[in-house]
Amino acid sequence: MTDGAEKRGGRAVLPAWMPLQGRELAAMAAGALLLVLLPLVITDTYTRHLIILVFIYAIVASSWDLSLGYAGIFNFGHLALFAIGLYSYALATKFGGVNGWAAIPLAGLMAMIAAAIVTVPILRLKGIYIILVTFAFSQLVLQLVVSQSDWTGGTLGMTGVPSLKLPGHNFIRDGKIGYYYTALVLLGANILFLRIFVRSPLGLSIVALRDNEEYAVSRGISLARQRLLTMVASAMFTGMAGGLYGAYVRNASIEAFGIGLLTLILSMVLLGGTATIYGSLLAGFVLVFLDEVMIDLGAWRPITIALLIILVMLVYPGGLFGGLRALAGRLMRKERT
Amino acid sequence: MNALFEIFISGLFSGSLYAMMAVGLALIWTTIGVFNFGQGIFATLAAYLTWQLVDAAGFELPLFVSIVLALAVMAVIGWLFQLALVRPFIGQPGIVLTVVITTLAAFTILENITLLLWGPRPKQLPPLIPGNAEVLGFGIAAHQLAIIVITPLILLAVWLFLNRTRTGLALRAVSQNEDASLLAGLNVPMMYALAFALSAVLAGLAGVFFGGLKFMSPTMGTEPLVKALVVVIFGGIANLTGPILAAYLIAFFEAAATYFIGFYWTPALLFLVLIVTLMVRPEGLLTGRSRRLT
Repeated sequence: MTDGAEKRGGRAVLPAWMPLQGRELAAMAAGALLLVLLPLVITDTYTRHLIILVFIYAIVASSWDLSLGYAGIFNFGHLALFAIGLYSYALATKFGGVNGWAAIPLAGLMAMIAAAIVTVPILRLKGIYIILVTFAFSQLVLQLVVSQSDWTGGTLGMTGVPSLKLPGHNFIRDGKIGYYYTALVLLGANILFLRIFVRSPLGLSIVALRDNEEYAVSRGISLARQRLLTMVASAMFTGMAGGLYGAYVRNASIEAFGIGLLTLILSMVLLGGTATIYGSLLAGFVLVFLDEVMIDLGAWRPITIALLIILVMLVYPGGLFGGLRALAGRLMRKERT
Repeated sequence: MNALFEIFISGLFSGSLYAMMAVGLALIWTTIGVFNFGQGIFATLAAYLTWQLVDAAGFELPLFVSIVLALAVMAVIGWLFQLALVRPFIGQPGIVLTVVITTLAAFTILENITLLLWGPRPKQLPPLIPGNAEVLGFGIAAHQLAIIVITPLILLAVWLFLNRTRTGLALRAVSQNEDASLLAGLNVPMMYALAFALSAVLAGLAGVFFGGLKFMSPTMGTEPLVKALVVVIFGGIANLTGPILAAYLIAFFEAAATYFIGFYWTPALLFLVLIVTLMVRPEGLLTGRSRRLT
């Protein structure tokens, strides 16, 4: 930490509990302001709908970036955590009579519990075996959802899931403004949480475990504890995003487990660039709107997206955010010289 | 008694298909150290190619000629797979994850191309041998019996190839020590290509066998892939005997569970057993610890 502080010398000194640098906080505030004001310009409800989807997907993707990008845990059951949030919200509000605002944190909590459970078998595993087990875990959750069709509607899904409610405000006929800001607040909290997490000593230790496990362990970092914390942290906002998604689309279906959504979210993480957090949001905008442009292309749509993924992996593994950062770095250097 | 026989046959049949899928996965893993999530689409493609060649709406070739031609095409597709999706990433630190993603993307691409070319309507291949056979007084489709008999022979042939031929031994050498193989003058990229081609052919054969019994659709590749994953987790991926034993074991378990506790709970139970297995023995039930072949 000390040489980090020396490198930062000359910039504004922030309190010790805030590991983010001044420049990043400023960029964050500017980005937040832009997104807060965006609905003033974009009044078309369909475009707003797409942006809400971008926000929700970005929460899921950036949380995945925490476990996949920073910690190097190949958790292929991440979408199952989203689905658990979705179904928790749907079941709690529809059958439990729970208020929607309480059901979203509940959805996050359920996803965190599920993440803790799936971490147990992968504590001793590495690389490909983690992929296999977490993939199997998501299939298990899917099978449970399908088999309990009395409650979950099985393969047909659940319809008539209650929307969010506020006295004096109709979330369904407000030009999507209510969900836009709800999703934005959740996204903002998520990004702030993730950035602070990865810059904290805990976050640095999970990167150390990813890059040199033996050395990190020999320096006294607990692999099991750190892995558990990472997985649970990555589940928190993912589950809440699932709950919000359920409240927004007012149904829950097993498509949340599908290869289609998995590919979309994964490509957001990779196209955006792993271990960046912000990249996921950036790539979310690109992919959701690209997907929308190709809406009439039928089967060519997934083909194009998949080709794009392969191309990005081949040509620019650093992703969009990495590319932007390199570009910005080059511009800065030009300014200085 | 009748129920037991049904469980037995069903287990043998599914086990044969799982074994061919899983051996392909293990072959690629041991040789190259990557995991091919596109394995399922090999089965789909081979089944559809065979259908195209054999069906009245296609070229109306004899069944066995069609199968051989389709499998030849599969070998080429497998070779292209590793050329485009694996070779560029060899030597990179994140190759395991990268290849999972590129092969998953290729799965999506080829699945949708199948949909575009052949449409969503289910199709069926003619059985290898039409009609029914009788074993121990019980009736069974001759096609199923043929597969139950043929698969172990194919697996034996793969084993003989890996253990008794020069090329097969070279393949195993690459899997054991790549640097030494290079020094010994082995054509390592060629071995990579061979591993992929061979596993594409094996998966393709599983697809053709499946298409002769049940209806095939463009999405038919997902299920065998997931099952093959379970098999390799269970049996370990580091050799070939582990996955083969695990394939039959899981198929029997599945058949028995389906019969006794019902279709819906079987997959859940299967995965539960799997996760418990991994907690006790992370490297799989039927394997040693090293990354070796056979």
